[in-house]
Order: sequence, then C-alpha cells, then structure tokens
Amino acid sequence: MAKAFKATRRGIIGALDPEERQLLRKLFEDIIELLEPTEPANADPLAAMVGVDSEAVTPSDSAVRRLLPDAVRDDEDEALEFRRLTERSLREDKIGTLRASALLMESSPLKLTAEQARMMARALNDVRLVLADRLKIASDEDAARLHDIDDVADADDVETYLALVYNFASWLQESLIQAMLALKDK
Amino acid sequence: MTVGTAPDTERLEETDTDQLTISDIPWVVIVWNDPVNLMSYVSYVFQTYFGYSESKANKLMLEVHQAGKSVVAGGSREEVERDTLAMHSYGLWATFQKSDAP
Repeated sequence: MAKAFKATRRGIIGALDPEERQLLRKLFEDIIELLEPTEPANADPLAAMVGVDSEAVTPSDSAVRRLLPDAVRDDEDEALEFRRLTERSLREDKIGTLRASALLMESSPLKLTAEQARMMARALNDVRLVLADRLKIASDEDAARLHDIDDVADADDVETYLALVYNFASWLQESLIQAMLALKDK
Repeated sequence: MTVGTAPDTERLEETDTDQLTISDIPWVVIVWNDPVNLMSYVSYVFQTYFGYSESKANKLMLEVHQAGKSVVAGGSREEVERDTLAMHSYGLWATFQKSDAP
C-alpha cells in the first residue's frame, strides 16, 4: 500500500507498490494516447513548428474537451480560433508532462525534485480529470458519492473499479501537494 | 472543487492593496469551479503561477469554490491569453474575456 509523500531536505520521497506504479504508468500512457494528435497537424511545417493547427476542431470526446477546454465562453468562433493557435502546443505540453511522469514510475523509492513533483501533480490532475469524466462526476455531490469507495473487495464492476482508482489518484495528488507546500516552507 | 485536506485558513490575513479591480483592467482571466480539482491544488497553482501569497490564493480558491468562478488575473489581451493557457496546462478550467463583458 502506498505511503504519503514526504518532504525532506533531499526532495520529495514517495513509496508506491510495484502494482501501483504500474497502474499509474498505464494511466499516464492512456492519457497520452487520448491527447496524441491523430495525424500530422499541418502540411505547413512552419505552422506546425510554432504550434499552429489550422485544422483543429473542438474535441468530440468530453474528457479530451476537459483537458483542452475552450478558452473563450459563449463565442464559438473566437474559441475555435484560439484553439487553432494554441491547442497543439497545449497537447504537446501535457504529453511531455505525462511521459516524464510515466518514466518516474520506473524508480523506487520515488525521489522527486521540486520540478518533478510539479510535473507529477499536473499529470495526476489530468488523470483525475479523465477518470471523473468517465465516472460522470459533474457536481460536488457526485464526487462526494464516490468518495467512500476505498475497498478493493467492492470492485465488482467497472464503475466501482474506476472510482477506486480515482480515489487513489486523488489521495496521492493531495499527499503530493501537501509535501510540495511543506517543501516550499523548508 | 473537492476537499482533500482543508487548507489552513488560520493564517488568512492580508491587506487588500493588491486586490484586482475589474474596471481598471481591459481583459480578465476567470477560473470556473469544477468538482474534480482539489482545493489545495487550485491554491497551489495560484501561488506558484501567479506568485500570489497563500492567503490571497486561498481567498480566490474559495471564491471559485463557493461562487462558481473568480477573476484571478487581468491585463492585456496577450497576458490573459497566456495565463488562460497556463491554467489549462495545470488542468484548471479557465477562460478569458473583456472585463466589461457580462
């Protein structure tokens, strides 16, 4: 069973079981797959290089839409224009963070620099956003409803299993943030 | 937002001199409430990215949580575009708009 992250003078230390590290790595990789652009962004190499994707459209998958949300509300044209200018860079930024976090899962015990902890917190957040979408968590009440599911013995259907994983990721992220805040004060 | 461990509200004390006044700035960044992001994480993002004090970050975070949204920064269009993208990179749900928009 994982232990909470701890802030030490040598960085943030975490202890995860091999199964937990494998699960997290798989989750990070799943989100990378969701975010990978399906085809080369643009025939224009210069446009691709600066992150412009003139073909970008609002993602049809609600989880991807939550990871890459509209930056402008109530104005579809403005939102789409901004998406075409920025979405590709945001995808790449997230994929890089998730990939680095997946790699961190290879080491045990986990010893994180402040920068690695920051990346891991962001990667865990993206995992939680996607799981929450799949679990249809749309309100604080929905989240509270799933909050008490913490026993593997209860995981007899996909939804309960996802809720377990979600609660684990939430606990881990909270523990990581507390360690990061403690590190800041050291 | 959701609670992991409640942030320390004991230390909430700060002058309002750095309070943003919406009418003073042309564009604003709004962060919207969602049921997923942890309260501690949202406060951490405000402290880390905007350099806000813990008390200011907690105050904005609680406003997002309780009022459903909060204006967290303002400036030129370029600045709010950059800040909104940064919020998306952290996984927060943010939009930008003209400060006088409804």
